[in-house]
Amino acid sequence: MAKFEMTKVEKNDVGTKVKRGILGFFLNGILIIFSATCIFPLVWMFYSSVKEKRAFNADIIGLPKEPTLINYIRILTNSDYNLGSSMINSLRTTILSLFFIVLFGFIVGYILARIKFRGNRAVYLMFLMGMLIPIHSLLVPIYVVFKDTGLSDHWYTLIIPYVAFGLPMAVFLVEGFVKSIPAALEEAAAIDGSSFSRTLFSIIMPICRPILTTVAIIQTFSCWNEFSFALVLLKRQTLHTVPLAMTQFTGQFASDYPKIMAAMLLTMSPIVILYFAGSKQIIKGMVAGAVKG
Amino acid sequence: MPNAIRPKNKVIFAYLALPVVWFVFAVFVPLITAFVYSFCEWKNGPTKTFNGIQNYIDLLNDSEFWLSFEHNIFLVAVCIVGQIGIAFILVLMINSRLVKLKGIHRTFGFFPSTVAAVSIGFIWKMIYDNKRGILNWFLVQIGREDLTQVWLNNEELVMLLVAIPLVWQWIGYYMVIILSAISSIDQEIFEVAEIDGANAFKRAIYIVLPLIKNTLLVCITLCIAGNMKAFDNIYVMTKGGPGTSSMVMAMYGYKTSFEYSNMGYGSTISVGIFVLSLLVIGGSQWLIGKMTKDKDV
Repeated sequence: MAKFEMTKVEKNDVGTKVKRGILGFFLNGILIIFSATCIFPLVWMFYSSVKEKRAFNADIIGLPKEPTLINYIRILTNSDYNLGSSMINSLRTTILSLFFIVLFGFIVGYILARIKFRGNRAVYLMFLMGMLIPIHSLLVPIYVVFKDTGLSDHWYTLIIPYVAFGLPMAVFLVEGFVKSIPAALEEAAAIDGSSFSRTLFSIIMPICRPILTTVAIIQTFSCWNEFSFALVLLKRQTLHTVPLAMTQFTGQFASDYPKIMAAMLLTMSPIVILYFAGSKQIIKGMVAGAVKG
Repeated sequence: MPNAIRPKNKVIFAYLALPVVWFVFAVFVPLITAFVYSFCEWKNGPTKTFNGIQNYIDLLNDSEFWLSFEHNIFLVAVCIVGQIGIAFILVLMINSRLVKLKGIHRTFGFFPSTVAAVSIGFIWKMIYDNKRGILNWFLVQIGREDLTQVWLNNEELVMLLVAIPLVWQWIGYYMVIILSAISSIDQEIFEVAEIDGANAFKRAIYIVLPLIKNTLLVCITLCIAGNMKAFDNIYVMTKGGPGTSSMVMAMYGYKTSFEYSNMGYGSTISVGIFVLSLLVIGGSQWLIGKMTKDKDV
């Protein structure tokens, strides 16, 4: 009797093992397919960009038989395409916007968290409203205002809205963070004779580094990828940022897919490299920003 | 902060002045401008004439605008179900002990959300292309050549076709957010539930779902806000066409203002977008708050 039961248990074990094996295969399979679809366009564009147009049109999915760099060479040697300069424009806009968002976000967030003054709540509310305002409704009016004030179509034009749109989230992330730092720190610094500004930048700022990194990560992607405001605020081709230059480029070469793909990969490369080099930190930052913001 | 070390008002003011002025200039000034010009007739050129609430009457009767609004709502609905729903299912799968390569799934899955919406639009435009697109190629391969078509010209399907890239782009994003919420739950809860005989489905509905409710609500809010402002993908893929079959509010405002140079009415549309977006976002928050309260009782 006892022996019989034992075999039954063993049999069951094998059964669950098989069941688990099938389930595991099924789960892993679906997730691998999901991941593959997420990365497939990048891979497809990569190997298609080294095909000639004719080779691509003959076989859109096959691997290149005679890989060639001709598309890249054509793009890089022809300055009419504007892609190189658009990358410089995007880089400049992104870096300067980041600088101001982090700096202003830090200062405003700190002051709102720590210092009581008349108007503290008013400023806080104003930035809160800034988070609730549907930014896309500003698309047309911002064009009007910038045109009237002569601010549109300059190298610095886009920095103005990007900083303003990035500020609310930065302010709130910093404000929340500063509240978790004990105030005794600043008191000690003040007793030691440190001025307000010195305490702010050489003591508090380094402590806030994690949250400022989070802000910087989120804003890097949103500034680099932003399209609609660039579209209405910039006319001159030489000022175009990457997304804008890409829409022009694809309009021009609508049927030359390998060329478009080469251009896209080239202009995407800084952000793709950045992402895969620091994906762990980047994912962490984006999630923290999304949930807390 | 004790008063003794509190900086002078002048110092506070000096620090706050530039950021506040900057912010007001780029956000509130345009908002007020839009409101003012929304009462003006202002087409092609510098002349603006006050015409009262005529623009608003036009807006209320503008079927194209309301169609655009419907399309935004459609996108919101598809994306809540598609992005968050699929993300939640993937999270349940990825959380299983049987699954390997979790890090890879996170990294790859999250990747599309970091790519510009413009690029995503191009990629999918290429996929849908009638001569060189993967979709038609695939249909030919499986012997359904009869189904191949110029996809983005299909008025009935076009909204769904522009929604798919959006869903695809953000699944991984929400997956990672939900994953991080689940990983903060004490793992013992799952073990106890498993011992108590709760199967995977029950664990998902009765344990995981309530514990990450707040995160899911954040996701839904993000999803609504994100889709009310849909523009980049649409601009790249269809520009609202064919006709108006994939028009969304931001695209309609853009077209009216810049292609038909009707800045006055464009401003009215902007105010309309502002009010409707706030209403939808606020309304959904209120609804969510009410629903979750009822459930708790």
